[in-house]
Amino acid sequence: MSDDREASAIMKKTTYRGIEKKQARWGVAFVVPSVLFFCLFSFYPIINAMFTSLFDKRILSLAAPKFLGLGNYIYIFKSASFWNSMRATLVFTLGTFIPLLVFSLMFATFIYNICGRRSRGFFQIAYYTPAVLSSVVAAAIWLLILAPPGLGNQVLNWLCRTPGVDRKWLANGTMLQFSTMLVYFWKYIGYFVILFITGLATIPPTIYEAATIDGSSKWQSFWRITVPLLKPTILLVSVMAMLQCLKTFSTQYLFTQSGGAAQDPINVITLNIYETGIRNQRIGRASAMSIVLFVIMLVLTFAQFKISKSDDVDY
Amino acid sequence: MKKAIIILTIVALIAPMALFAQGSKEASGPITIKFWTHEDVNRNPLELQYIAEFEAANPNVKVEYTTQASGKMADIVQTAFAANQGPTIFNLPISDEYAYIVNGRVAPVDAKAAGYADYQAIKSAYVDGTLDSVTVDGKIYGLPLELTNWAILLNKGIFRDAGLDPDKDYPKTWEDMVAVSEKIIQRDGDIITRRGFDFRYGYYLEWLVPMVEQLGGKLISDDGKTAIVGDDAWLKVLTFMQQWGPNGKNLGSSTYTAARKLFNKNNGDIAMALTGYYQTARIAEENPEFYASGDLMVIPFPQFKDAVKEVANCYYGHFYMVNAQASKAEQEAAWKLIGYLLSHGDEYLDKAALPQPTKKLFESPEYKAKPYTDVFSADMEKAHIMYYSENSAEMQKLLKSAVESVMLSGVSPEKALATLKASAQELIDEN
Repeated sequence: MSDDREASAIMKKTTYRGIEKKQARWGVAFVVPSVLFFCLFSFYPIINAMFTSLFDKRILSLAAPKFLGLGNYIYIFKSASFWNSMRATLVFTLGTFIPLLVFSLMFATFIYNICGRRSRGFFQIAYYTPAVLSSVVAAAIWLLILAPPGLGNQVLNWLCRTPGVDRKWLANGTMLQFSTMLVYFWKYIGYFVILFITGLATIPPTIYEAATIDGSSKWQSFWRITVPLLKPTILLVSVMAMLQCLKTFSTQYLFTQSGGAAQDPINVITLNIYETGIRNQRIGRASAMSIVLFVIMLVLTFAQFKISKSDDVDY
Repeated sequence: MKKAIIILTIVALIAPMALFAQGSKEASGPITIKFWTHEDVNRNPLELQYIAEFEAANPNVKVEYTTQASGKMADIVQTAFAANQGPTIFNLPISDEYAYIVNGRVAPVDAKAAGYADYQAIKSAYVDGTLDSVTVDGKIYGLPLELTNWAILLNKGIFRDAGLDPDKDYPKTWEDMVAVSEKIIQRDGDIITRRGFDFRYGYYLEWLVPMVEQLGGKLISDDGKTAIVGDDAWLKVLTFMQQWGPNGKNLGSSTYTAARKLFNKNNGDIAMALTGYYQTARIAEENPEFYASGDLMVIPFPQFKDAVKEVANCYYGHFYMVNAQASKAEQEAAWKLIGYLLSHGDEYLDKAALPQPTKKLFESPEYKAKPYTDVFSADMEKAHIMYYSENSAEMQKLLKSAVESVMLSGVSPEKALATLKASAQELIDEN
């Protein structure tokens, strides 16, 4: 009895560290630098923006900013400019995200089924190359193409046999929105194609063989095997594509600043934040808009994760 | 372990505040002046030469001279100041600089360091009214690098090619401008391949407001309480811009390359461009054959046929200013450098075509004898300084939005005017 009590007392005094906890220490040590980096460059700015959004802070002012509470939020929710930005962002996101998701899967399936390694490699490089260009360079290239005397009109007029027609890529509101979607699609399709190719490579070919033996057509194999087993990759691509579309900025900025395009049709929320914070010097109001964008992105991401978890497939 | 992670996270959140917090500094020892200015192919080498001379005469002062594209300067300087990392000396148009004065970010001129006995001596040296925009509560906060207005540069060769006599047929009114542009323009279907003229899109405070004022309208009422005065004038100008654009007579648009970027090349792309006297020096530098050809002409800013008032393109000033957060020693050295630079007004005019608005220069026979200065000077007499206030950038954006909506988005001038009025009034009321 007394031995048991002694052993129990020793146990209480000695902090027991299992091997798992010892290994965990190394894991924490490797993760801490990234956490610090995230805290410094992501978490801290978010907290700072939340705090700033409660004040009427001007970027150049040295005076103590006036506390407004939710005043900035009330202003932006009543502002026609903000709702126009929400519309522009929504239109851009839906118009870009859905084609990106669908076509990147299609192209990935096409490339994955090409027999020759060299041909496959060529197509992968060809699709991925625009993704390595900076957004500024990409927008500058497309501004030249989409300008009235540019290649866009010339090629389309030649194909459609309609000489001299100006499609107003940068002048007409609808065409302008389409132009920004086109640039974004062209730039990022390759990146998501590569992600899908990686996902396709994880599906064992034996499953397709078994399906073929059982009489499944290619189309059936695609819908009944490929798509369900690719769900994690589809989720990854859809979340990444959606978030990137919501955060789009450089194409719209360059089109309106260097390209002379009208701003209102493509005044996405990030461009509005930039204008409000930097051009108009109202950093408090800009912070409020960025917090609203952050919440939207958080909610949509959460919704996507929830939807995708509903019917997981195992094999 | 959990405690350690929590403590580390708190430290990570607090650490940036210590890293980035800065107050004003008192320098000791060698002085470094950060000098930020916009790119100018003629002015930059000139200033680098003067800086070398200044450094030789002041061995304890080092000047770091940095140039940026003019379109980017406002954002870059503002971002730097927001982080309390602003340059010691910088220049921007007064519409962008005024906010720095009202927010106490720039130091008043040190008259003695700049080479003047006192403020009265500074005012006496400059053309009357030139320093009004940088004078607040009796203190002067900047010295002018240039005072610039825009007139129309014209390529006589293109006029002759279109069957026009440039000396007689140049446009005197905006209605003439439309007629002349229609004769000069060449198109491939809807696509313009040669323009007669195009506006300087994005800079509406400089040229759109004078067009409205010609017809009796105003940007802001005299008492400063009402925005967008004179609906008829505004409607007429917005309708003019609508007709100019691709949905009207298709004479030009912001989606084509800016006129002033094409004009120097003399490639037959554009016959006229709205720009400043400095452009003549750039043409001389970039295309000396065109400059020497005799085909370059400058004409006054057109007026509407039924103008009630003769108003030319607004002028604007670029002022050298000094960061108020710099140490006293840095500020003194900065004003000394600025005074030294600006004491070379003749060379700024000769080599960079930048007229500093000093009485000595403007009244000199040398200035009056310079080609094209007569047109710019005459127009300046009929002009006023562009609108400047703490919210100039926002006002510029509202005008941009109004013009783009009628030219490109198919919005009616009436609706565009209503939106402009409401937004501009809100801006005035907020400030």
